Amino acid sequence: MVALVIALALFFDFTNGFHDTANAMATPIATGALRPHVAVFIAAVLNLVGAFISTTVANTISGGLINEGPGGVLITPTLIFAGLLGAVLWNLVTWILGLPSSSSHALFGGLIGAAIVGSGFNAINLSVLLSKILIPAVLAPFVAGLVSFLATRIAYAVTHKRQREGFRIGQVFTSSLVSLAHGTNDAQKTMGVITLALIAGNLQPANTQPQFWVIAVCAIAIAAGTYTGGWRIIKTLGRGITDIEPPQGFAAEAATTATILASTHLGFALSTTQVASGSVIGTGIGRKGASVRWRTAGRIALGWVITIPSAAVVGALAALLAAVGWWGIVIDAVVAVTVFLGIFLLSRRSKVSARDLTLAPSQFVRPKPRGKIKQAGVAKP
Amino acid sequence: MIEWANFLVVVIAALVGGCGEVTLFALGLRFAGPETDGRLRGLGVVFFVICGLLVALGVCLVIPALGPFFATI
Repeated sequence: MVALVIALALFFDFTNGFHDTANAMATPIATGALRPHVAVFIAAVLNLVGAFISTTVANTISGGLINEGPGGVLITPTLIFAGLLGAVLWNLVTWILGLPSSSSHALFGGLIGAAIVGSGFNAINLSVLLSKILIPAVLAPFVAGLVSFLATRIAYAVTHKRQREGFRIGQVFTSSLVSLAHGTNDAQKTMGVITLALIAGNLQPANTQPQFWVIAVCAIAIAAGTYTGGWRIIKTLGRGITDIEPPQGFAAEAATTATILASTHLGFALSTTQVASGSVIGTGIGRKGASVRWRTAGRIALGWVITIPSAAVVGALAALLAAVGWWGIVIDAVVAVTVFLGIFLLSRRSKVSARDLTLAPSQFVRPKPRGKIKQAGVAKP
Repeated sequence: MIEWANFLVVVIAALVGGCGEVTLFALGLRFAGPETDGRLRGLGVVFFVICGLLVALGVCLVIPALGPFFATI
């Protein structure tokens, strides 16, 4: 059972990687600051490095959202397995729909559903759900959007039109910082899940740090996931909400970086996905003449609203089946693999690749001087 | 419940950090970018350097091991 949990946790880590590549790399790809494959390679390397440099791993699997331990829910490998199933399935569904949604919320949702099946609604700490998940989810896009809006106005007010191509260089640094921060935060989640599964299975002493092999495999899984691209979500965030120019891309990335770092270090953690999405919307409002596709933004917001309930329903169903015995777990696993394969095959029918994101040559490239155009137009004998 | 004072600090820090970074980089481009007065190029470079230091501060915040080093600066 523990081996199954570890395999599923690593797959969750992989989906987390490709789901969240867009947070850092959607805008530099959209403005042409980085080529798609170069962008995801940088993001993958920084996620790999980030996973190794941070030593902070959560002591509780849900951060207090579920009443764990004595008097609360007994965290077992089966419960973690059911929760992970909900999280992975929701990550894959939102990926096929091209919706940026929080992987952490999906994991919490799956665990909530599994915990409710195990111990009833008393298992959930509602005040933590409100203060750590629901209110921050509403506030995050507004904070990032405000910062991004003002930063965009500043970027356009200070620079001349012909100077604005320079913002592309700045984007490389800000997006890299977001990737590094992502690696230090998100890989720790899976390390915590695997470590707690090992402790629950009596394969590791309680209150001990993750073993090196756990850190290594989690780092590799999130980096591999990041490198595969998650092009659908990159397309939505980079092109679907608004058309992004280099000053906007830099302003949005700077807003994302500043908001994430400020919130993480002041004890008010905000979802990277929601911050990045808010920044893109803010920069769309901030540039005169730009428009925001509110229909797409509304779809994304709807996805955020139903992330926890949807993952919870899957987690609960998986936990119900798993509770009946080993054959319930086998059915869970078989159904999950079938659904995952179905989603993968569906994705092949409407494939989105790096080619779909490559900037058209005419965009953001200054027209050549007339003389050069004439020269270029002369046919060689 | 939610700690609104912390949230306010996050908003202010994000505004100062995000807008500050963009302002510094934009001023760098303004003075050291194309179509600029050559005499002010040095000032533009200074703005780029300060912007780079702000990014370095971000790296220090991301990497816990650099925290003590940052505290000594």
